[in-house]
Amino acid sequence: MIALLAHIVSGLAIGCGFALVGSGLVAVYRVTGVVNFAQGMFAVVGGLCASAFLGAGIWHGAAELLAVAVAAAVGAVTGLLALGRPGTAPMTALIVTLAVGFLAYAVLVAVFGDTPRSTPGLPGMTSLLGVPVRRHHLLVIGVTAVVFLALWLFLTRTYLGKALTACASNPYAARVTGIPVARMAQFAFVLAGVLGGVAGVLVAPLRPMSFDSDVTLIVHGFAAAVLGGLTRPMVALAGGVLLGVVEALVAGYGNAAYQTTVALVVMLAVMIWHAARRPSLHQEVTV
Amino acid sequence: MRSAGVWAVLAVAAATLALPLVLDSGGLAVYVQVAVSASVVVGISLLMGYAGQVSLGQAVFFATGGYTAALVSQAGLPTLAGLLAAPVVAALCALVLGLPLLRLRGHHLAFATIAVHLIFLAVVAQTDALGGSTGLQGIPLLSLGPVEVSTNQGYAYVAWAVLAVVVVVARNIVRSRPGRALRALATSETAAASSGIPVGRYKLTVFAVSAAFAGAAGGVFAFYIGFLSPGMFPVSMSITYVVMAVVGGLGSVWGAVAGTALVTVLVHYLGVLGTLGGMPDYAPSVLTYAVYGLVLVLTVLFLPHGVLPSLADWWRRRSGAREGRDRAGEEEREAAPA
Repeated sequence: MIALLAHIVSGLAIGCGFALVGSGLVAVYRVTGVVNFAQGMFAVVGGLCASAFLGAGIWHGAAELLAVAVAAAVGAVTGLLALGRPGTAPMTALIVTLAVGFLAYAVLVAVFGDTPRSTPGLPGMTSLLGVPVRRHHLLVIGVTAVVFLALWLFLTRTYLGKALTACASNPYAARVTGIPVARMAQFAFVLAGVLGGVAGVLVAPLRPMSFDSDVTLIVHGFAAAVLGGLTRPMVALAGGVLLGVVEALVAGYGNAAYQTTVALVVMLAVMIWHAARRPSLHQEVTV
Repeated sequence: MRSAGVWAVLAVAAATLALPLVLDSGGLAVYVQVAVSASVVVGISLLMGYAGQVSLGQAVFFATGGYTAALVSQAGLPTLAGLLAAPVVAALCALVLGLPLLRLRGHHLAFATIAVHLIFLAVVAQTDALGGSTGLQGIPLLSLGPVEVSTNQGYAYVAWAVLAVVVVVARNIVRSRPGRALRALATSETAAASSGIPVGRYKLTVFAVSAAFAGAAGGVFAFYIGFLSPGMFPVSMSITYVVMAVVGGLGSVWGAVAGTALVTVLVHYLGVLGTLGGMPDYAPSVLTYAVYGLVLVLTVLFLPHGVLPSLADWWRRRSGAREGRDRAGEEEREAAPA
């Protein structure tokens, strides 16, 4: 029982990372219709920068915040490249974000080398209702809860957030009411950078990170987000947490080599089930 | 116009057949790599340009072909049988995978194929019959009847022959009635279905054909390299194939070949530059990734139809013949990504 609960807590923690990556995907997709393949890379940038800043002797806290800021800047640059030319189709923009991923590989290898890095998270263990848990796991869960609460408040209670939602539901109507849709799309990329950076900073102490960790992160983030049709951040949270827990249980009670496989099979099943329910007529893009 | 095209093809064929005779060993390695990758990329170009489907997991079929060829020839059967079985098994895998997966489209399909790729790597690494994560060693050399292909030059010609078959098959598909049907369904599946095109069956067929191309290439690769391990087929390999297809021009068979050659040669020679004295040891991989990224960004933003179709278009506009202009328009429509 204790072991089960411990597995669940560690699964929750890693799942929070997936959820943050997934919500970054959602932030961009709902406004621009672009699936940002570079989203996992934002997390890698966050994680690797945090380790570098900590290595340079910057305090905990400040180093992590700086790393998130760098990830946000990378998000802004990605947005400029993906959407900089007006009229770029979403599928073309997806390919541009693939290219950004390759450019980022080049920069990351040049700056950080190609060996995996990890950061010291919150050290030590604590006891939660008699279950021994790593304090860093609790920190990840807590920070994620705060980030998602802030995201929810931002999207529903502020003018900027409501404008983003307006662009998501009907770009034409949003433009008519005077919302700068193009600038909002740029802003969505910055938001995605922040969310990805937070994910990277939180996950780096749990899983060592190297420049090509972005593939697993983006696939898990997509899996989390696709449960909510890529448009609902809160469903991405639920999906990410679910994936994390399932993986932790597979690793704990089955074969750790198959933990990712199980999560991916779940994602494929969900997507195919969704697609089978909806006739193709509704999925076609009308230009 | 048509005869000019035939002459151009013959000239390219003659030049590429003569090349292995003059290349040094480094050049031959690049030559084999171009021919092998181009076979995969032609399939992706068909799949993306004609059927409108994105596959970011094409290296899975490449690897499937490689493992098939290796296992068949290690079981004591003729190596040629292994080479012939490679595309067949890859195509069968694609049929089985495609049935559920091709219900998805766009970015869903893109991520589903990446997921298949990751699952494939995890499963191969755990399967002892496939050598696990250490891989299969000691794959015999390819024998064509009594002749054993042991030189790099020999493999260059084998890879060339496979690519030639792939190009001919692809050209014939494109020019046939199903080819036109595919172009229609890439534009709008609903419209294609309502004009009587069996959309699902055609998509599945193209998926299987592109997998067969990749499988054949993988078979050649297995005999050429002599060992296989899951680490040789990272997800980024699948993505580089898409880069080559996009750079060459989606839906253009010759564009796929040209794009592959351009990207592979650039990456190789910049990689050589990176290993020169005074360069840090991470320089080759940095340069490689930078080339993929830059070439892709520049192509997508400035030559959206791809390098070869854009060049052909420019040439025809310059020559200015009315007939040429009509054809350019046609090419352009052919090459337009969905």
